[in-house]
Amino acid sequence: MTIKIKIRRLILFVCLLFSMTPAIAIAGATEPYEVITHPGINEKSLPRSALRAIFGMRLHTWPDGTAVKVFVMPDDAPLHAVFSKEKLNVFPYQLRTAWDRLVFSGTGQAPETVASQEEMLAKVASTPGAIGYLTKSRMDGRVNVLQIK
Amino acid sequence: MYSRSNNPARHHVNWAIRLMVLPALLSGAPAHADKLPELPKLSEIRLPKLPEMPKLPHNLQIHGFASQGWLKSTDNNVFGQSSSSSGSFDFREIGLNASMRPLSNLQFSVQGLSRTAGEGSPGNIRLDYGFIDYTFSNQENSQFGIRLGRMKNPLGFYNDTRDVPFTRPSILLPQSIYFDRTRKLAIAADGAHLYGEYRSDYGDVSFQAGIVRPLVQGAEAEAAVFNGSQPPGHLTPNMSYVGRVNYELDGGRVRFGISATQLNMGYSPGVGDPLQAGAVHFIPLVFSAQYNAERWSLTSEYAIRFLEYKNFGPALPNLDFAGESYYFQGVYRFTPEWEGIIRYDALFTDGDDHSGKTWAANDAIQMAKRGLPGRPAHSRFAKDITVGLRWNITPQFMLRAEYHRVNGTGWLSTLDNPNPYATVQHWDLFSILGSYRF
Repeated sequence: MTIKIKIRRLILFVCLLFSMTPAIAIAGATEPYEVITHPGINEKSLPRSALRAIFGMRLHTWPDGTAVKVFVMPDDAPLHAVFSKEKLNVFPYQLRTAWDRLVFSGTGQAPETVASQEEMLAKVASTPGAIGYLTKSRMDGRVNVLQIK
Repeated sequence: MYSRSNNPARHHVNWAIRLMVLPALLSGAPAHADKLPELPKLSEIRLPKLPEMPKLPHNLQIHGFASQGWLKSTDNNVFGQSSSSSGSFDFREIGLNASMRPLSNLQFSVQGLSRTAGEGSPGNIRLDYGFIDYTFSNQENSQFGIRLGRMKNPLGFYNDTRDVPFTRPSILLPQSIYFDRTRKLAIAADGAHLYGEYRSDYGDVSFQAGIVRPLVQGAEAEAAVFNGSQPPGHLTPNMSYVGRVNYELDGGRVRFGISATQLNMGYSPGVGDPLQAGAVHFIPLVFSAQYNAERWSLTSEYAIRFLEYKNFGPALPNLDFAGESYYFQGVYRFTPEWEGIIRYDALFTDGDDHSGKTWAANDAIQMAKRGLPGRPAHSRFAKDITVGLRWNITPQFMLRAEYHRVNGTGWLSTLDNPNPYATVQHWDLFSILGSYRF
């Protein structure tokens, strides 16, 4: 008896969870953006797996030996979500989980979080080895654009 | 079993389910929302603004966390006197770490930890890890390196950061695999690790392998190894081996792992010790799998643990058995702030004796020689159904609540439950935890 009731409740619960799925849509409706690097970086393009390793904080050097310095927006910034999903093909929570694993086991470090796109531009333009992302309308000649293969 | 109609636990379950469904209903409505639906921000609640960290020198990072839990159980004690009328606040985790990367291929990392969790963990500050990490090869699609010092043991998905509440899926990790009882043995060890990673369009393969000395000091380790009794001698560390291979497809959408560890310990008898200088070998093998979608994650791990006791003399005849554990876990992210979890977790101390009856029959004979009744069979297994809720109030503050319905006492700490005859087979556990990190 009670088992049946419990199972019914569980099914109801699970249905409720999945019924919400269509409501999820982080909009792709943000402005066009690019992956940007410090002007000293010669790379013009990178494979997605390398970009993922860089933002996963597991690839620490550029091919010329310069140390990679990663800048990101906060986890809940729409541009961060779009960049994570489109360029890296991961969800922001997966990045956060991976960074936490590195930081709290000592096997890596977290990227530097910037508060705004202005700060992103300023930091990437002024930090050797820097990589980040920025909407096209805010870009200027101080940063390079990196194509993702 | 756990569905008796007069069981008070039902009300807890009902309550917990309602608690989980409510935010789902609240947030499920705005189907055309541009962003993920959000709960009302409760903007009138202003959390104290913590002082900004001062600017740190180049490549030095400092992070930390602090958490406080409350546990209340119907019977049996988890992390302090949780079965008392006021429950137990005896569950605190505080950690502080620093890492520095003076060169792009060299990192120093250290973490101090204070963990209070019942009798077994009194909250003393200890070195959680501290090591040098040198990456001797770092290519666009691969890296290889070495770590020297005290490292976390690579075991399953969660061992590496098991004391950091933000990285756990629930307040208590699935106890079948992440026993809090044997945590000191499993958590970290001193030695050398080699690690490597190869990345391609077909996924990333990574490994860690090490030769280490297990951390065997302390009553907790001895109580865990000798099933609650505290012999006058002490355990000694012997050379041990750890290893894990992970495979991640599509940036971690699908993750698989296999971990194998061989922990070897000796025993140095004390004065008038009934035990002789024996040896213990503990060999856990863990198989892990996870699927990560935008809203939900499914995780399962299966472990088989070989445990061997040798040459302790007549007081502890040679023993050789294999324990078995597994769990299935679903996590659902209602919004980035709200997350629900449901899990079934099972532990069998001896995989050939799931009910514990064979062990209990033998134990009754052994204990009768000392004029005592046999210990209960339910101490040899534990089946735990967990439901829980996580609320990320801000990226720094998290609140959690969870409810466990447990059949069996297999993973209970014998230090918190010194009298095996007083344990209860079917019991409930409710817990709340708040955590801050930076």
